Amino acid sequence: MAKDIFVFIEGKDEGVRKSSIELLSKAKGITKNHNSTTYGILIGPKSEEMVDTVRPYPDKLIVVRGDGLDEYRWDTYTPILERLIKTYRPFLFLGPSTITGKDLFPRLAARLGAAYISDATGIEFEGEEALVKKAMFGGKIISWMGINEKDCALVTFRPNSFSIDRPSGMAEVIEEMGDGKSEEAITVLETKKTMEKKVDLQEADFIICGGRGMKGPEQFGIIEEIASLMEGRVGASRAVVDAKWRDYEDQIGKSGKTVSPKLYIGCGVSGALHHTMGMDTSKVIVAINKDPNAPIFQYADYGIVDDLFDVLPALKEELKKLKEQAG
Amino acid sequence: MKILVFVKQVADTEARITITNNGRSLEVENKYALNFFDEFAIEEALRIKERLKDVEVVVCSYGPKRSIEALRTAIAMGADRAVLIDSKDLDTDDPLITAKILSGFAKGDGFDMILCGKQAIDDENATIGPMVAEMLHIPHVGLVTKIETPEGGEVRVDRDIEGGRQTVKVKLPCLLIVQKGINEPRVPLITGVMKAMKANIPVLDPATYGIDVNSCTKEEAKVKVVRYESPGGRPPVKFIEGATAEEKAKRLIKVLKEEARVL
Ligand SMILES: Cc1cc2nc3c(=O)[nH]c(=O)nc-3n(C[C@H](O)[C@H](O)[C@H](O)COP(=O)(O)OP(=O)(O)OC[C@H]3O[C@@H](n4cnc5c(N)ncnc54)[C@H](O)[C@@H]3O)c2cc1C
Repeated sequence: MAKDIFVFIEGKDEGVRKSSIELLSKAKGITKNHNSTTYGILIGPKSEEMVDTVRPYPDKLIVVRGDGLDEYRWDTYTPILERLIKTYRPFLFLGPSTITGKDLFPRLAARLGAAYISDATGIEFEGEEALVKKAMFGGKIISWMGINEKDCALVTFRPNSFSIDRPSGMAEVIEEMGDGKSEEAITVLETKKTMEKKVDLQEADFIICGGRGMKGPEQFGIIEEIASLMEGRVGASRAVVDAKWRDYEDQIGKSGKTVSPKLYIGCGVSGALHHTMGMDTSKVIVAINKDPNAPIFQYADYGIVDDLFDVLPALKEELKKLKEQAG
Repeated sequence: MKILVFVKQVADTEARITITNNGRSLEVENKYALNFFDEFAIEEALRIKERLKDVEVVVCSYGPKRSIEALRTAIAMGADRAVLIDSKDLDTDDPLITAKILSGFAKGDGFDMILCGKQAIDDENATIGPMVAEMLHIPHVGLVTKIETPEGGEVRVDRDIEGGRQTVKVKLPCLLIVQKGINEPRVPLITGVMKAMKANIPVLDPATYGIDVNSCTKEEAKVKVVRYESPGGRPPVKFIEGATAEEKAKRLIKVLKEEARVL
């Protein structure tokens, strides 16, 4: 079987989710070695810009069009993907481990009876054999999973698992038609989008996280400013969410989100295990805490022991300068 | 109405986990608990029962014998009955096999609604809900944050979607995957605990309800762990020194730019 790879392209607002582009970059690195093809799979694009944004990354781009396909639903997307996989017979189908990916991929795996590994963070080859890296037990253990599957195996990856390579071409576009008629079993009554335009916490490259040491909701202003300066996101510990200083969707940790940004800065976060489980795969961790014995320093690359209310204004000014220099 | 809740017993967050046998197996300290997210599923089933009265709540787990303790917790909370499907030495890394066994049980035992938690905190797979629903040819809804009282063969639920929230109406039978925030799971009362201690929890062999166990062996698993590793720990923290907070902030930016290269 040709070692072709499918990558699921997930939209975000009118654009394309960054993690889909990461996966295309990774897939292309693999198919180059196997003299095979990386296909991007884009269902129901909301705009032609989406097609144009993706095109430089895969070898080929399959665009599936049809009324009703612009919003993801498992009942419309699963049969389309089943048909494409059976027609093109890729050996891997990769997708982002996002709300959509986690909803769609296991359903599709069960439909195909296919191998499925979720929430992975890496993939390597030992000869012909793919080994998939996955964190377990809240990051306490790393497992390398082997795939025993003749047909297509499905894998979803955490956002920020791979870097994006500079694009090197312009994919041929293959147009397909799809049926957007949904099953009658589920009727959408109302949709409320709460955080349009903001980068998702799990996809952010930069996260500044406030803990109970922030003292109150009104103090998060400076953290907000730093996050928007860095085009990143504000995170929160559970103590902060429980106190209703921040919304649950900002919570990082065991009972919140798992993030792995390039840079995580914890401010007044003690570093309880339940919290670090959600952030210890970040590339670089910085902790600001007035207590030199705070457990978070066991996880951090860099630490500042000081009052965060003195450090944050200075940090904001320095970052501002840096941004101005960069123009 | 009959509500089936699928639960898993998992290693407690605090349990010590050691890699043994040259990276081929794990040794888990004997501290297990009912999976954090499954408590919400049990609680939600009980709340529906309290509102509708004529509801049976059945809790089921596929796992080794020790999982009976997690099922006792469910009974102590108020579930009507619990069933353990013994995984014996079939214990698998492949979620398809677990889903096959659970959906086989659901088919045999019957249900109007299946509830499960959004993910197990040990393997962190978050796969069983959609897989079981697919195998049973029923709809599923993920990341549910609110379930209204089922009525006229339908149920209204709220769920999280990418960047927002949605209200949907689902026909029964269906499978709902619940997450934190949907409720505050009750702490079992002493009377519940007493009842749970005495409860008879049947242990089933999947073969007895028509599952082809030959397709559920380790050899048939489509994914399996090849080796375990400890995460590469970070080098010790570097404290950024300075006379004032401003000086420390300045130096931090410099190392993040020049040494860590993340700015
Ligand atoms: C089942 C379960 C699930 C959980 N899930 C999560 C989860 O998902 N996410 C999560 O975060 N937690 C979770 N927790 C809670 C977790 O155990 C901790 O209680 C929580 O993370 C603590 O939050 P914190 O660090 O903000 O607060 P604290 O532990 O109170 O720490 C505050 C820190 O701020 C520092 N500080 C105070 N003032 C200043 C100042 N002026 N300048 C600098 N530093 C200052 C203090 O030195 C201290 O270290 C969970 C707990 C349980 C039991």
